[in-house]
Amino acid sequence: MQASSGMLTKFESKSSRAKGIAFHPKRPWILVSLHSSTIQLWDYRMGTLIDRFEEHDGPVRGVDFHKTQPLFVSGGDDYKIKVWSYQTRRCLFTLNGHLDYVRTVFFHHELPWIVSASDDQTIRIWNWQNRSLLCTMTGHNHYAMCAQFHPKEDLVVSASLDQSVRVWDISGLRKKHSAPTSMSFEDQVARANANQTDMFGNTDAVVKFVLEGHDRGVNWVAFHPTMPLIVSAGDDRLIKLWRMSETKAWEVDTCRGHFQNASGCLFHPHQDLILSAGEDKTIRVWDLNKRTAVHTFKRENDRFWVIAAHPEINLFAAGHDNGVMVFKLERERPASAVYQNTLFYITKDKCVKSYDFQKNVESPTLLSLKKLGSPWVPPRTVSYNPAERSVLVTSPADGGTYELVNLPRDGSGAIEPAESKRGQGNSAIFVARNRFAVLNTSNQTVDIKDLTNNTTRSFKPPVGTSDIYFGGTGNLLIITPTAVHLYDIQQKKTTAELAVNGVKYVVWSNDGLYAALLSKHNVTIVTKTLEQVSTLHETIRIKSATWDDAGVLLYSTLNHVKYTLLNGDNGIVRTLDQTVYLVRVKGRNVYCLDRAAKPRILQIDPTEYRFKLALVKRNYEEMLHIIQNSSLVGQSIISYLQKKGYPEIALQFVQDPATRFELAIECGNLDVAVEVAKELDRPKLWTRLSTEALAHGNHSVVEMCYQKLKHFDKLSFLYLTTGDNSKLSRMAKIAEHRGDFTSRFQNALYLGEVEDRIQMFKEIDLYPLAYMTAKAHGLEEEVQSILEATGLTEDQLNLPTFGEPLTPPKPVVPTYQANWPTKATSQSFFEKALLSQVEGLSLEDDAAAANGLGEAEEEVTAKRDTLGEAEEDEDAAGWDMGEDIVAEVEEGFVNVESADAGGAGSSEADLWARNSPLAVDHVAGGSFETAMQLLNRQVGAVNFAPLKPRFLEVYQASKTYLPASAGLPPLVNYVRRTVEETDLRKVLPVIPRDLEYLASNDLQRGYDSMKANRLEDGLRIFKGILHAVLINAVGSDSEVAEAKKLIASASEYTVAMSIELARRALGSTETVNQNPQLLKRSLELSAYFTIPKIEVPHRQLALLNAMNLAMRSKNYNSALSFANRMLANGGASRLLENARRTKAQCERNPNDAVEIEFDQFAEFDICAASHTPIYSGTAYEECAFDGSKYHTKYKGTVCVVCEVCEVGKHGSGLKLFV
Amino acid sequence: MDPYSAEGELINIHNHFHQGQYQEVVDFDVSSLSPENALPARVLQLRARVALGQAEDVLAEVQGEAGEGAPELAAVSALAAQALGKADEAVETIEGLAQSAGDNPTVQVLGGTVLQAAGKSEEALALLERHQGSLDAVALIVQIYLQKNRNDLAVKEVAAARRWAQDSLLVNLAESWVGLRLGGEKYQQAFYVFEELAQAPATSSVQSLVSQAVAELHLGRIEEAQAALDQALKKEPGYAEAIANLLVLNVIAGKNAEELTNSLQKVNPEHPFLTDLAEKNDLFDKAATKYKAKVTA
Repeated sequence: MQASSGMLTKFESKSSRAKGIAFHPKRPWILVSLHSSTIQLWDYRMGTLIDRFEEHDGPVRGVDFHKTQPLFVSGGDDYKIKVWSYQTRRCLFTLNGHLDYVRTVFFHHELPWIVSASDDQTIRIWNWQNRSLLCTMTGHNHYAMCAQFHPKEDLVVSASLDQSVRVWDISGLRKKHSAPTSMSFEDQVARANANQTDMFGNTDAVVKFVLEGHDRGVNWVAFHPTMPLIVSAGDDRLIKLWRMSETKAWEVDTCRGHFQNASGCLFHPHQDLILSAGEDKTIRVWDLNKRTAVHTFKRENDRFWVIAAHPEINLFAAGHDNGVMVFKLERERPASAVYQNTLFYITKDKCVKSYDFQKNVESPTLLSLKKLGSPWVPPRTVSYNPAERSVLVTSPADGGTYELVNLPRDGSGAIEPAESKRGQGNSAIFVARNRFAVLNTSNQTVDIKDLTNNTTRSFKPPVGTSDIYFGGTGNLLIITPTAVHLYDIQQKKTTAELAVNGVKYVVWSNDGLYAALLSKHNVTIVTKTLEQVSTLHETIRIKSATWDDAGVLLYSTLNHVKYTLLNGDNGIVRTLDQTVYLVRVKGRNVYCLDRAAKPRILQIDPTEYRFKLALVKRNYEEMLHIIQNSSLVGQSIISYLQKKGYPEIALQFVQDPATRFELAIECGNLDVAVEVAKELDRPKLWTRLSTEALAHGNHSVVEMCYQKLKHFDKLSFLYLTTGDNSKLSRMAKIAEHRGDFTSRFQNALYLGEVEDRIQMFKEIDLYPLAYMTAKAHGLEEEVQSILEATGLTEDQLNLPTFGEPLTPPKPVVPTYQANWPTKATSQSFFEKALLSQVEGLSLEDDAAAANGLGEAEEEVTAKRDTLGEAEEDEDAAGWDMGEDIVAEVEEGFVNVESADAGGAGSSEADLWARNSPLAVDHVAGGSFETAMQLLNRQVGAVNFAPLKPRFLEVYQASKTYLPASAGLPPLVNYVRRTVEETDLRKVLPVIPRDLEYLASNDLQRGYDSMKANRLEDGLRIFKGILHAVLINAVGSDSEVAEAKKLIASASEYTVAMSIELARRALGSTETVNQNPQLLKRSLELSAYFTIPKIEVPHRQLALLNAMNLAMRSKNYNSALSFANRMLANGGASRLLENARRTKAQCERNPNDAVEIEFDQFAEFDICAASHTPIYSGTAYEECAFDGSKYHTKYKGTVCVVCEVCEVGKHGSGLKLFV
Repeated sequence: MDPYSAEGELINIHNHFHQGQYQEVVDFDVSSLSPENALPARVLQLRARVALGQAEDVLAEVQGEAGEGAPELAAVSALAAQALGKADEAVETIEGLAQSAGDNPTVQVLGGTVLQAAGKSEEALALLERHQGSLDAVALIVQIYLQKNRNDLAVKEVAAARRWAQDSLLVNLAESWVGLRLGGEKYQQAFYVFEELAQAPATSSVQSLVSQAVAELHLGRIEEAQAALDQALKKEPGYAEAIANLLVLNVIAGKNAEELTNSLQKVNPEHPFLTDLAEKNDLFDKAATKYKAKVTA
């Protein structure tokens, strides 16, 4: 067996010797009791020490968590058992009684009991609720090393250094301490009789079995969780397995391997495995059924003292000389691969299954891989090759192996692979559809192999390569512990390198443009050329990731699903209650595999990241849609928007006025700011608004703010600067009113109102200033009056010299009338989007409504037309279509035996003509003469000129030009319609515009031109159809019938259209009406137009046309017949209404004014050449190809419908199918 | 050691050449090559320049050196002359070289090319068959066989080369050429090879894109082929082979191809598609005259 590989250590602590371990049943916690008297509580997921409990004196050997209560119990060398609350972080009470070291303590799974084993040779059961000793079990005559409750039954098992294992029946104890009602008299009697008392008269716990077999003391013993099995570990270095029945117990087998004392052992909670730990520094894993060693994990220096299993998840812990390790036996990540809408994954029992994302169904088992690797080692990766429908599975077993197997077409149970190719390798992935790469880490090589498992090339990857991943076509991503290399396989060199530590997984985006490199704590997003786009760090371990279609990476940590955008913005999508591995995101569903390898669907709300993505991409419609349709508004998104510089968008979400104001200021949306400021009306807001508005030049808002704030001075100045003199003078008035002289002075100054200023100075007795002012402005009268008032004369005053009097500037532009032109961007894109979106919506509605009324009828008829065709199309679909061929692999080729020596061979084009009796294949082969011969024989074709475009079309489609060696002309290859055929006697050329194409394209175009009254076009199209069918091939007999139908239909339309065109060629309406000859002919032709068997809606058009013409010429009888036929046909109500009206009108006078050759009751066809009736019973000639009919005199002419064949020449019939 | 082998110095420039990445060949840094590989590298670069339409410059460059001592350069001058339309002169040079230096691999390959281009397939094959393990020669032989419609011989040639050259680019290419003739699942295999070349940024070229498209056309995957051709034309709008194949594709898809015919006419009026079509045009007219109706209406 291999040693020491495969252990997955999840956590390690450093401490003194660890003697006892307990897992918390729910939380990621582990209790460790140490030889140094401390009890540690660790979070093994985060790797942090949560708490320490130090009340024991001396080593603590046993600990256990309570299953449901926030309690744990410990027992130590101080003889004490302590019960603790980890919530209050203190010891609740101590149970005293043991007379020596306490070795183990365990809670009962449902009763409030604790079982303890002690060196005083007793096992005791305690009630922790009333803190009493219930029972002391004696019998062992040496230290009792371990005692455990049975997980379901009323049993205790104990191990002792007296070399025995004892099983105790404690049902008596339970009965004694449960409610007395449950015990009837009979029970009491039965119990009294059944339970023989032990030598001390104790009936509560009796020895049921004594298991002897160990040659030395037994250190540990444990029950199996479900089966009647016991495992024990002893100083005789043996692990013994015991089985018990109702009445007896016996030794089953021994696991040999430990070469020192075995200190602990347990059953794997979910698998048929036994784990044991020993002082030989090993942990060993044994197969429960075969008792053979499965794994051995060796530690260098530390002896193991104890081992424990997590009750729920696949985790174990072992205590050793220097601490504790938490580990897993195997990886739980199910190997999986996604291709388009299918997930391929490997279940726990090693079966390949697939899961369809669209239908949400699991397939049955496709393949069983039981034989791959060892039974206890799950496969590590799977790589899927859609072209070959094969999988490449790697397993770490035997130093790394890979296996290439083909999946069966449909899974029908566990099929062993029919043939598989395998080899040694640590990683194996498909790199092309016919190549895969295998990494061998031990000798550091990468081999590129073909599907037959032969190495086609091999190279040395960069030093220390640990893994390889697909790197885009022709490339590998090579992972080393410190870097990722993009390696070009063809050139054998690294084309790019990026230093990223410890990458473990690579996840490609769906479009192949980006890849996410996942390491334990980091996600790095790179482009396909390995340029780093962004990186992020997670404290919690990252487990998996997948891309959504829009380029958002969703990744899972141990407890969250998170997202990250390409720009590194990330967030939480949802929490997880268990670890899952994401495989795909679609809409609101995240598909993942859980640890049991079951596909699961998680519901998520993608709104947040979609919104952010839309924001980054400035996709405002999408954002608008999200805003309107989801409840996204939250503080986080607002602050996000603000932080990211989109305050104008954040503004759309916010209701809170204060925040709205802030955002509005930030994005310069003054309207909103004003609105909010009005609402709140706080001076502070007005101040800020005024500043912002001033910066914008929006002075009307500034004015309002100043008004609100009563900043008169500022207001005045504002009016001054904007040149608003009227308001300025009003300000002056207000100032006067308020008695604010400074302000009044200022305003007067601004206004240049000298008198006012003088008046004011006088009012406040500042005569000198008044005088000066008056004097300076030359107001002599005023000067005099002041002098008078003060009683002074001019001589008494000593005046300085005056300069020019102040004159306030005159406004040049009436700025106050309008704001400064502000930046256009002040209206956010988003608002615009919002507006235009709303308009757009309403418009659409209108249009839809209008449509509904006006064009409904037309649409109905059109739909009816196409309905039949559509059905046909579906039937015909699939023929002559190329498919992905995965035919049988055939060695060797069809070898046209011929002499090896030179001489040119015959080209494939020649073969086509040889292989087929169809004209079209001869045309494609370039053998035009033989093609013409064939057509002449088959349908009497004589006039080939119209077929020339079709001949050349078919011929042009037959060859491709492959550029090969430089300097030489391209290699010609021959395009086949028999794509999968390799037999050269059966290959046939591709046919452009096959039957299906004609029916769904040309025919529809023909119909359209009929509807649109473009008859010349229609005629051309239908003749084109005839020519295309003539040179064509089909895939089956039923299609031959369809082709015949198409020919007939095209022929009828051709005749119909040419009749109507002939009528129109008679001349304008006036000329026709004036000439009775022409009028008669015109009426006849219009009547004949209704005869060919064209589609009903089109016939209605012809009938309408004929009816109207007849009406106009007072041919009421004919008109009546047309009206009747229209009514019989049914269809669009407008037409019918018209017909009904005509009918009513005609019935009053059912006579024809112009006699025409048209007997509405007779059966007849129309001669295609002369456009006259061929009554049934008369002789006629036909075109052998299109079936158009002619009067006998036209025999030998070229058919006017197909323009190719000779009328009346009967050939062998057109051949379209080999 | 074979300089073209996977570990050789010339592997990359050689691959570039055969992947149709001529510009990369010209830009290839040859300064670090060992002296014995300098000449082959130079020949490759000269050939690439001829392929890029710089035949005149190449001719001028080698004219002086193409003396007795350098049959390789003489062969290059013949190739350039051939490219410039001086076929007779080129053939003459090659025939001389075949006598004097017929064992030189460059002479074989270039000579084979020139002779085949001049329609002298037998002579070309005779010269090429003297090769000693040259994959270039094998590829040429395969192409000549295919042009002669001797698929059987081409298959044999590839199978033989596959035995000693395994996964080399040229063998893969030659096998794909043959595969496109043989059809069936060989189409798919050829497609894989071309797709791998065309889609990897390091090896992608117009030539490989067109090859991929051709394979897809043969597989009946019209839309995919169209995408590849559009991609090729975006890279090099005047690439005659891309236009020709797009033309064929349009015809197969039932679309109008007149515009493309015109642009092909502009780019390369001598393209086989056009010469062939003109020939068939005349053939049709000639054949059609044999028939006429008994009575003319």
